Amino acid sequence: MGLGLLASKAMRPASRIFNSQNPRNFLFRTIVSKPELQKPETSAAQAQPDPPPVDLPPRTPVAGARVHFPNPDDAIEVFVDGYPVKIPKGMTVLQACEVAGVDIPRFCYHSRLSIAGNCRMCLVEVEKSPKPVASCAMPALPGMKIKTDTPVAKKAREGVMEFLLMNHPLDCPICDQGGECDLQDQSMAFGSDRGRFTEMKRSVVDKNLGPLVKTVMTRCIQCTRCVRFATEVAGVQDLGMLGRGSGEEIGTYVEKLMTSELSGNVIDICPVGALTSKPFAFKARNWELKGTESIDVTDAVGSNIRIDSRGPEVMRIVPRLNEDINEEWISDKTRFCYDGLKRQRLNDPMIRGADGRFKVVSWRDALAVVAEVAHQVKPEEIVGVAGKLSDAESMMALKDFLNRMGSNNIWCEGTGMNPNADLRSGYLMNTSIAGLEKADVFLLVGTQPRVEAAMVNARIRKTVRANQAKVGYIGPETDLNYDHQHLGTGPQTLLEIAERRHPFYSTLANAKHPVIIVGAGLFEREDKDTIFSTVETIAENAKVVRPDWNGLNVLLLNAAQAAALDLGLVPESGNSIESAKFVYLMGADDVNLDKIPGDAFVVYQGHHGDRSVYRANVIFPAAAFSEKEGIYENTEGYAQQTFPAVPTVGDARDDWKIIRALSEVAGIKLPYDSLGAIRARIRTVAPNLVHLDEREPATFTASLKPASSQKITLTPFENVVENFYMTDSITRASKIMAQCSALLTKK
Amino acid sequence: MSFTLRSVKVPPNSVNLEEARHRVFDFFRSACRSLPTVMEIYNLHDVATISQLRSAIATQFRKNSSVTNPKVIDMLLFKGMEELNNVVEHAKQRHHIIGQYVVGRQGLVQDLDTKDQGISNFLKNFYNSNYF
Ligand code: SF4
Ligand code: FES
Repeated sequence: MGLGLLASKAMRPASRIFNSQNPRNFLFRTIVSKPELQKPETSAAQAQPDPPPVDLPPRTPVAGARVHFPNPDDAIEVFVDGYPVKIPKGMTVLQACEVAGVDIPRFCYHSRLSIAGNCRMCLVEVEKSPKPVASCAMPALPGMKIKTDTPVAKKAREGVMEFLLMNHPLDCPICDQGGECDLQDQSMAFGSDRGRFTEMKRSVVDKNLGPLVKTVMTRCIQCTRCVRFATEVAGVQDLGMLGRGSGEEIGTYVEKLMTSELSGNVIDICPVGALTSKPFAFKARNWELKGTESIDVTDAVGSNIRIDSRGPEVMRIVPRLNEDINEEWISDKTRFCYDGLKRQRLNDPMIRGADGRFKVVSWRDALAVVAEVAHQVKPEEIVGVAGKLSDAESMMALKDFLNRMGSNNIWCEGTGMNPNADLRSGYLMNTSIAGLEKADVFLLVGTQPRVEAAMVNARIRKTVRANQAKVGYIGPETDLNYDHQHLGTGPQTLLEIAERRHPFYSTLANAKHPVIIVGAGLFEREDKDTIFSTVETIAENAKVVRPDWNGLNVLLLNAAQAAALDLGLVPESGNSIESAKFVYLMGADDVNLDKIPGDAFVVYQGHHGDRSVYRANVIFPAAAFSEKEGIYENTEGYAQQTFPAVPTVGDARDDWKIIRALSEVAGIKLPYDSLGAIRARIRTVAPNLVHLDEREPATFTASLKPASSQKITLTPFENVVENFYMTDSITRASKIMAQCSALLTKK
Repeated sequence: MSFTLRSVKVPPNSVNLEEARHRVFDFFRSACRSLPTVMEIYNLHDVATISQLRSAIATQFRKNSSVTNPKVIDMLLFKGMEELNNVVEHAKQRHHIIGQYVVGRQGLVQDLDTKDQGISNFLKNFYNSNYF
């Protein structure tokens, strides 16, 4: 047999070539390896003393699962269907099967939640145990012989399926989960082909969980995934299990909405259609949707998302797995902002007429007008502001354009007038988001991660739960969903810590992996440099930055910020906007419009008719993030790109193309006319931005900076994000987000 | 329904290229002959002349001038006859004719300008659409 296999291996290349002419070759090979597969017990028995791995076709772990051995001595060997696998101690039987490439059906088990073991779908047979065991809750022991495919296991699953379906309504045709439902799939695969149940099914009253999650509680199979998610990951004690036996129900204990910024994730983890998306209800079937893998831009985390679209419409947004950034969760803002992409859109170039009304014009005319005005003002009076949602390409083009016009007054919203763009470590999250999990003490300075970057907050919470990490917080009163000490509200406390007078200082100094997170909201403060140097003093004293650990972080607010600072979007003078005559707002809606002088000519390029449009003289319609290809760098320096999921609206164009076209009309043609060319230009300025899907850590760590001479003011830190649900032009245009802010933000 | 040009039943296949060619010319002629009626039905006098429409038809024919497979020619002929029938039957409306044959592929927004000389391809494409 070994010879036969060898021979067939030798023949493999030939058989691939002759595949069509000589199918016998192929057949022959299959037959050779078949008996082992079919009778795992016997082959395993034979193979016991020295299992020859050659005889079994190598299996690939389910979903490419990787095994990580924290300690090589702890490896144990178990046999799954006769196939030996090495796993670290403490893994469950289910995980061992996964490593062996056997997918065990499950409902209640979820790798990121605690183990409940209450659905019993994962039953497998283990040699020498009298009954089938629930593999998700059973630790694997050395030498265990697990059988996943025996009649006993199959029968057990069939029985569990029958019990689950007993009280499950037959409403798949009107269920939004239809087509992506675990219960549907598994009853097809493991269920019985007929039911024996003739009594009445039970029904359960639906609960109101707020504007985002729709409930049809009769469909619930009591797996408690949602309850565990809410308490463990989201950190709200809102959901619970009420009643026992056949009266068991999931619900909020009292009539109450679910107030978590991560509540949308229960839609994904619910294995059936009990919790579904309210805005998506009855809108589409999942098989008619086209998925585009893209990046979220509503905050600086850059969560990985999939945009599901049908024709020209974005139907929903769901998370994509990225262990380094968002694991498999996304915030509600990311998930539900998409209806803002359909409202308030700018679709034609417009010029404001003498009567103050906008008139639709052609691109040719609009560009010509703007180019002419731009040439009539002095170079110092030209100002450009990049918005929160700008991609790296358009910021590069805008900077090049203004530089060629002779102006250097360009910045990105939210970075303040005097940003420190020289050292990347001064504005990035140096520990990296995944690295936060190692930390044991956090000091949050003027940042409220829960509203500024919900995914970072989820990491901190995970760390607090796992390592009992201590959290100290300096800033205005806030509601963090983990235990924290509120140390103070302003720079006063910071100074005390820096002078080692504060008790928290010793906590920080004694920590193995201390982390300081400074909010980017402080960039806007007058005394920013002093605050940052105070923080650096603390970091130095408490050894937060060491060769093997960099715990000094800045948490940015907007998707565009990191790339803008990498590209050097730094204004030449702090108050250029007060004396500007020509202002180019590229999606910038949060600039203080009152500061722009009345006689200035304002060009607004963007996708939404948001705040700045009221002041604009000319509007250039641009593409939103779901419609263009653009590079974004997240707060930890991880460059990623969006992909177009839907076509642009009306006569809109990609941002960088507009600027490129304008430059040509203005007679100072920029030297790139393709995405590749502009990326080549970016490479010369900030090469890390074109290394996509890679985190480029800051190489330098500060400490070269001269001490600042500014006076520290003692005004307390302020809330940076007033309303989590509405932070940019897309979310402000969204109806769902408006409902959320009306119902869910605490007054 | 009474079709004026009752030829929309599948004619026998052309045996060779010669026969197909002959049919094409026949069809072109019948199309041209129906033009005065078309002008009348759709009230096109103020937007087009007969000769303009004729050249629009000729363009459609020329677009496929490279086809040499008699079967394909037969198929194209059939589609053309169907189209002509729809037009003559008044199965279309005025804007269909204007959109397809009078304004043509250029689109309604003829954003052409004398200033366009000397601009780069990028800008020309930019004025047309976002996708290039
Ligand atoms: S609502 Fe869904 S996730 Fe929650 S217990 Fe029921 S089936 Fe499980
Ligand atoms: S998955 Fe094991 S009991 Fe539910």
